[in-house]
Amino acid sequence: MNLSLELMAPEIIVLATGFLILISDLFQKSKNENKASSILAIVGIMLAACSGLFLTDAPKETLGGRFGLDQLDLILKEILLLSAGLVIMISPAAMKEKSEQKITHFSEFFTVILFTLSGMMFLVSSRDLVTLYVSLELATIPLFALTAWTKTDKSGEAGVKYLIMGAIGSAFLLYGLGFIYSITGDLGLKAIQTTLTASQLTNPSLYLAGALILAGVGFKLTLFPFHMWAPDAYQGAPTPITAFLSVASKGTGLILAIQLLLKVMGFLLQPFVFGIAILATLTMTLGNLVAVRQNNLKRFMAYSSISQAGYLLMGFMTTKPEGLTAMVFYMLVYALTNLAAFGVLIVHIHQTGQEDITSLRGISKANPLLALSLMIALFGLAGIPPLAGFVGKFFLFSIAAQVGYYWLVAVAALNSTVSLYYYLRLVRQMYIEPENPQSQKLQISPMSILGLGIATVGSVVAGLIPYIYDGILATSSQWLQVWLKI
Amino acid sequence: MGILSLLIFIPFFTAMGVVFAPSPKSVRWVSLIGTGIHLILTFFVTIEYFNLASADSQLAIQQLSTKLYMVEKFDWFKSFGIQYYLGVDGISMSMVVLTSIIIFTGVLASWNVENRSKEFFALLLVLVTGVFGVFLSFDLFLFFMFYEVAVLPMYLLIGIWGTGPKEYSAMKLTLMLMVGSALLLVGILALFHASGLHTFDLIQLANVKFPKDFQNWVFPTIFIGFGILGALYPFHTWSPDGHASAPTAVSMLHAGVLMKLGGYGALRIAVYLLPEGAKEWGLFFMGLTTINILYGSLGAIKQKDLKYFTAYSSVSHCGMVLFGVATLNLMGFKGAVLQMFSHGIMTGLFFGLIGMVYGRTHTRIIPEMGGLVKVMPWLGVAFYIGGLASLGLPSLSGFVAESQIFMGGFFGNQWHSVTAMRVLTVLSTMSIVVTAVYVLRGLGTVFLGPIQDKHHEELTDATFTEKLTTGILIFTMFVVGIYPRVLVDMIEPAIYPILNRLNM
Repeated sequence: MNLSLELMAPEIIVLATGFLILISDLFQKSKNENKASSILAIVGIMLAACSGLFLTDAPKETLGGRFGLDQLDLILKEILLLSAGLVIMISPAAMKEKSEQKITHFSEFFTVILFTLSGMMFLVSSRDLVTLYVSLELATIPLFALTAWTKTDKSGEAGVKYLIMGAIGSAFLLYGLGFIYSITGDLGLKAIQTTLTASQLTNPSLYLAGALILAGVGFKLTLFPFHMWAPDAYQGAPTPITAFLSVASKGTGLILAIQLLLKVMGFLLQPFVFGIAILATLTMTLGNLVAVRQNNLKRFMAYSSISQAGYLLMGFMTTKPEGLTAMVFYMLVYALTNLAAFGVLIVHIHQTGQEDITSLRGISKANPLLALSLMIALFGLAGIPPLAGFVGKFFLFSIAAQVGYYWLVAVAALNSTVSLYYYLRLVRQMYIEPENPQSQKLQISPMSILGLGIATVGSVVAGLIPYIYDGILATSSQWLQVWLKI
Repeated sequence: MGILSLLIFIPFFTAMGVVFAPSPKSVRWVSLIGTGIHLILTFFVTIEYFNLASADSQLAIQQLSTKLYMVEKFDWFKSFGIQYYLGVDGISMSMVVLTSIIIFTGVLASWNVENRSKEFFALLLVLVTGVFGVFLSFDLFLFFMFYEVAVLPMYLLIGIWGTGPKEYSAMKLTLMLMVGSALLLVGILALFHASGLHTFDLIQLANVKFPKDFQNWVFPTIFIGFGILGALYPFHTWSPDGHASAPTAVSMLHAGVLMKLGGYGALRIAVYLLPEGAKEWGLFFMGLTTINILYGSLGAIKQKDLKYFTAYSSVSHCGMVLFGVATLNLMGFKGAVLQMFSHGIMTGLFFGLIGMVYGRTHTRIIPEMGGLVKVMPWLGVAFYIGGLASLGLPSLSGFVAESQIFMGGFFGNQWHSVTAMRVLTVLSTMSIVVTAVYVLRGLGTVFLGPIQDKHHEELTDATFTEKLTTGILIFTMFVVGIYPRVLVDMIEPAIYPILNRLNM
């Protein structure tokens, strides 16, 4: 067997860094000293990201075809590395704090984040059903632990809720995978796809499998009606984890969808398009309408991210390269924008100990740059030009128009208006409402500033420079040619 | 960076300068210098435009596609057919001139903003960047991008620096305008995908003959999308609240320039790209705008607050813009663009003056004032000149515009029943009488008669900056009123392509 491990370099580096942090923790004086481990984690992630750049002569396969790597995989991995890196940069702000959700044991905390990250990266590269499922569990199980990290009632409750719902989601997915195996008798994605395409199966169980997999994906992407875990998990989890969850879970969902729905069953998409449109409509509408009434910042972000998933789903309505590109691009933009928002919220929540949206009052006077950063992020999430959030949404909406679903464009655009209403509620608290007399100057470490700065600037610039979109488009049209022969 | 990019980004650079200005006091000087440079540059660009355009003024009559000057064109999102495409034709040139004048005077009118002046001027300038961008871009994506940049800062400008129920007004305005842009987005994407050209280039899209069924639903979508910003009845309700709550310069910009984006877009995108749809829906929108015109002017009679008074009169006058667009003939279009210019200047003057009067009397309630012309003759006379322009007195800009619009409406076109158009036109002209009633009555109460409030006796007349502000605006009004050819020569060649597309 040809074992070319260099294809796995990014994953190996990430895992090695995880273990290294765990060991280095033994030599540290205080359990709460986090500087060394966070720097170590970031260096590891940067190394992994750089090593990815040397693998651009993909596509290649190893481990007997169970692990593959192509250009699109690389792009997805770089996005994941970037998000995880940003989370690690902004999370130490949760160290010194008033909030009951103080995070302890930072070294283990980073280690677990890195394990999740490696799971997601393996997921991207897995080329058969077993590897895929195992990587998925590697990506999700640490998230349950992270959610329950602070050992408070709320955090524990959130962790258990997330665990149960996540397990149900996995069960759905596994059931679907079982159907696929029983129909085709094969485990390799390529083989399954060839069998399915060649036989032009119209077996009803195939549609059932598609629906079950969609449900499994729905749990990860927080699609209606599988979104219920998100608000509780977001609220209960320590804020850095909420930030990581909001990106990691969506990323996992998107990767799963690309791997299974697009790669393996892409030719089956046509009859599902209407259903996807309905699902997108319900998800974004529900997320938006409920977010209007939220007063807890983290719950608010949860519903906002549910509605974002609704927009993201619009990219699945076609097998043309524009659809895939729009989704991957939006994932990048969403990660940057959401992490910029969370970067501010982590500092705010953990230093004031307040999670209510009214606690943001006066932040624009005491901390003008933080407020500006949050405002840009919120406008980005609402899709206001010239921010990247707008460009990303524009491409997604364009997919719906491309397949002739003009009503969906209208629904989505009106939903954006609703979402603008609640994002402006936050802006209003920050800028317009009379100041909170207790509002204080928030302390922020250089590392957090850097992370926040990258996220904020990224969320502006990604929409102005065309190269990112063009690059993803070229890659994904190539990818679709290879996999779907389109 | 080309000259048009400069026109767009000078306000943006000024905004950056404002952010890094050393002291809050210096902020207004930075803004004034920035907008002053912009005004001068606009002047030179206008002359340059005349030089370039005079050569083909004879050709324009047969032209089918808009001839652009000083074009800047780069691929942006190439794989998506999105370009950075700037150009200028007569209509956009006149609008740029208008905006440049209004922002310059707007900065002068906000000379006394003390509260967070840095953010105020920065946001104001960012907003204007968006407005210039809309007028100069000929790529639909770019257009839409600038359009939203122009709309959104309004929320903060009204919310932070406004008066009265400002949070409510700001939210109402923003959300209603965003519903408008949601409709626009649908329309733009529909145009993009239906054309099959894979481009957002407005000039190229104009050469496509879209199927009639398609035009029949996209035209009203886009027209209403722009109509919301142009205060089309029944989507005008954001406008009185918004204008009444906004601070002076913001009302000036918003009523003076931003509402014009609606009329501009309706003409440039809706009618130009979708002529069949326009023929189908023209009469319907004429009907709606007739209600606009009458409702606005009748509404103004009942208002006690000077700002609401002017806001309702704006609804009426902006209705005339859309009325002119809906007539689908040369005079109507010409009148509509002239009215955009004239109303922009006039309303800028009005809101500027209201701010100045309010700064002295601390009330905007009409019955609480009286005899003010005795203590502030300059402001009183300026107010009257504005009022007379608004009721269409010859030799002021309002007359030129309104007469063209109503003549256009009466003249009719070949697609709609001429009788119906004439009936609507006659109904609309009634508003001139109503306007005379409310303008003369309202201004009479405020400025004539004995002084009502003893405290008002010690008030002072306009300061130098205020005289400069009002002077510039009044001068412009007279220039256009007495010698309208300056503008007409600019606008007319740009209208022929739109007309020729209709007649094709």
